[in-house]
Amino acid sequence: MALSKDVYAAFEDVVGTEYICDDPVIMPSYHATEFAAVILPKNTAEVQSIVRLCNKHKLPFRPVCTGWTGKFAKGFLYLDLRRMNRIIEINEKNMYAVVEPYVISAQLQAETMKRGLHLNLKGAGSNCSAMLRGHGHLDQTTSGDDRNHLAIEWVTPAGDIIRSGSLGSSDEWFCGDGPGPSLRSILTSAVPPGVTPGVFTKAALKLYHWPGPEKFPIEGVSPNYSLSEIPPNFLARYFSFPSVEKMFEAEIKIGESEIAFELMGFNVAMVAANITTSNEEEERTFKRLSQEVQGPGFFIILAGNSAADFEYKKRVLHHIVSAAGGKSLAPLEDPRTEGILLCQCIRISASIRETFRPGGAFSSIPVMGQRDLTIRWAIGAGKAKEPLIAKGLIVDDGGAFFGWGVEQGHLGKTEIFCKFDPQNPTAKEAVEAWHNDQSARAFRERYFALLSGQNEEVGRGLSNYHLWWNKIQKALDPNRVAPEAGALV
Amino acid sequence: MGLEQYKGDMEMCCRCSTCKFIPMQRVTGHAYANVCPSISRYNFHSYSAGGRMNIGAAMLKQGMNYTDRLLDIVYNCQMCGACGVSCNYAMDMEVMEPIQEFRIKCVEDGKTHPALDKVIAGLRKHDSMVPPSGKRGDWASGLNLKDATKEKVDVLFHVGCLTSYDKNLQKLAKATAKILQKAGVNFGIAGDAESCCGGRAYQMGYKEDFLRQANKNMALIQQAGVKTVVTASADGYHAFKVLYDKFNLKGSLEVLHISEYIAKLIQDGKLKPRNKVGLSVTYHDPCGLGRLGEPWIHWNGKKIPGDRFVFDPPKVYRRGTQGVYQPPRDVLHSLPGVKLTEMTRIKEYAWCCGAGGGVSDSNPAFAQWTARERIEEAESTGAEAIVTACPWCEKSFSEAIRATGSNLKVYDLVELVEQAIS
Repeated sequence: MALSKDVYAAFEDVVGTEYICDDPVIMPSYHATEFAAVILPKNTAEVQSIVRLCNKHKLPFRPVCTGWTGKFAKGFLYLDLRRMNRIIEINEKNMYAVVEPYVISAQLQAETMKRGLHLNLKGAGSNCSAMLRGHGHLDQTTSGDDRNHLAIEWVTPAGDIIRSGSLGSSDEWFCGDGPGPSLRSILTSAVPPGVTPGVFTKAALKLYHWPGPEKFPIEGVSPNYSLSEIPPNFLARYFSFPSVEKMFEAEIKIGESEIAFELMGFNVAMVAANITTSNEEEERTFKRLSQEVQGPGFFIILAGNSAADFEYKKRVLHHIVSAAGGKSLAPLEDPRTEGILLCQCIRISASIRETFRPGGAFSSIPVMGQRDLTIRWAIGAGKAKEPLIAKGLIVDDGGAFFGWGVEQGHLGKTEIFCKFDPQNPTAKEAVEAWHNDQSARAFRERYFALLSGQNEEVGRGLSNYHLWWNKIQKALDPNRVAPEAGALV
Repeated sequence: MGLEQYKGDMEMCCRCSTCKFIPMQRVTGHAYANVCPSISRYNFHSYSAGGRMNIGAAMLKQGMNYTDRLLDIVYNCQMCGACGVSCNYAMDMEVMEPIQEFRIKCVEDGKTHPALDKVIAGLRKHDSMVPPSGKRGDWASGLNLKDATKEKVDVLFHVGCLTSYDKNLQKLAKATAKILQKAGVNFGIAGDAESCCGGRAYQMGYKEDFLRQANKNMALIQQAGVKTVVTASADGYHAFKVLYDKFNLKGSLEVLHISEYIAKLIQDGKLKPRNKVGLSVTYHDPCGLGRLGEPWIHWNGKKIPGDRFVFDPPKVYRRGTQGVYQPPRDVLHSLPGVKLTEMTRIKEYAWCCGAGGGVSDSNPAFAQWTARERIEEAESTGAEAIVTACPWCEKSFSEAIRATGSNLKVYDLVELVEQAIS
């Protein structure tokens, strides 16, 4: 797996001695895989030189930012993009920010909040790259996925630098679709590495109006942070409903009325995870809150642009929720808890407490599509979790799922996961089986779900897209140096 | 048990990278979002807490694989604990304990750092972490202080190695003594009989040397019949308050840092700062006083088999919540003419001064790089001075200021209090 001395030296010439390492002792920290080496480029030029060397030596590579746990093949060159961490520009007038891959969402969000702006935070957490493609809590008002990518600077697998959208014909970042090449259908990547082979070295991200304070008035010492006061014209509530149908009815109406700053189809297990500071407290809180809800529900944040706007939104919310038989979860009306959730859902993007804390791992199936349909699928996936819960193999969350609409609409994301201890082989096996079964069921029932390793089957169902994609990949990556896909954060 | 007892904790690491940053809610911009000096300086993930945890877990499975790079990773860490605070905002797992145990394992296996070996040789020979210049109690000459080993006192003032021997820092010991005298405290020092607390030796991985020092100190304290120890150094505070307790050596001894004690004396009306100091300052939380100063929590239990990483009895983690943060600030607020402006990274998520974990000895350049980052952050507040509560921080900052030509001044809290009561 090791690079020859000459090849190593060639990479060393690009980044300097200090920024490349092939000592096997560091590899466990990089996803427990025997990489050929880990290299830390500092700019686009270095990335391009590295990629060209990879082509010359037929060495596959994989770029990664902060890097959650993931699966990697042996022998790759690992591009750790940590040194590419600059905010290039925050354009307030045109409402976009240009960043390098290792700017995390928390940093960019903090900078934009000072300017009355904010951005879509991905569900992976604000500790991850701001450039990530994906979905998150704020999808209602900030959309999701590649909709937030404007112009992109991309080092292709062959080592060319492509500038998409407006950047392709000028030095402006304002548009992803032109003037200049759009390439949106190819640049649908999670960033980096995602499904687009190569490396995204800079991207312009769409910014949105932020009606809140320049920064939240946080008090307390970790992990007991709370807000000294709820910012003016902000409200956070959790509503439960008598049935899924009623919940969806309210969700749709809230979308139509465009009153929600955030609408997150949390289940109470996720609420409990977010407002507690330990596993034991979470378990107790989940049991308690489960007794207080009447059925499925969602978490909502209202953010008024003025006192009058806020009052209007509250009245509309009350009307919609009442009509659907919704009931507010009383413990969350406590301002302290409300403040914690505001921070968790706007600044943290929840994530770690609700995924990794219980057992160290989770397995997730996200399904995109029309919410009322995908919810039906998720109910089935939730029922399929029940035997695993009964056997103590996964954390008891009541078999719940979650999700939300995107852009205030009926289309959105529905997701379900199992939290488990990856050191328990029985649990791991059971969760994998659940994941495969439910993903396959989603595909059979014609929902859009990621099916790893089943591209051919999925492709046949989707106009043979996999054949076209293979051709595109071959053209982009003639030496097959960027063969891997998958969203690493 | 050593490292083995933290196998489950290390395996819990999900590699989310929060250990590299201050808690996300506290991020106020692009600048000063980093919290770990090691990953910030050396960049490879292996230098982060997450990297260290994953390496530790792997080596427990596959055996220790000592290379120069591994030892570089191990010893280029200030053991400041910031990673653990950020991780433990969301996760239930030990972070600093396995990192500490990994270092102890290295030392036990003879994989030491030559510079640290030299320091420890000095400790064994002279009872000090710094080379002695004269006698340990020389700084007190002419001050007419009580000898706690011979006279009955209520409070033992443990001065610490650096303050005792460093000519530039002995002023801190003198200021502390003056403050305690002014407040009418019946205190004494151990003078030449004082020993190193051992805390820095422990952080360097030399557990046996730490234990020897701890036992020596506790024997002196018991012989003197002292019920309260006041330390001037944050490292000393961490050792007496936390580490001695961890190893069941502290007993009922009350351990206070001088900042806590002064705050109490002011509150009780025994100390009245009246003189105008007239200074705009920012305050640096020393790691040993802040997040690492959180009391030790004794716990013994077993993981409950099943889906969650939970224990019987439930495990309460030290997340940095109970460190000493407010007393030094209260003292600063009580000083006439002192205006405190906070830095971005404070309290439980403060950036380290760079001197911890033996780094000031094993890699002075890295220690200075870390200190310069803090000086820059302090300057960004517009303050005239950075105030700390530990001589190691003051030394580290002073050197950084000299090297950079900064106009920032450095004070220990006791220096300002001394001005206010003189």
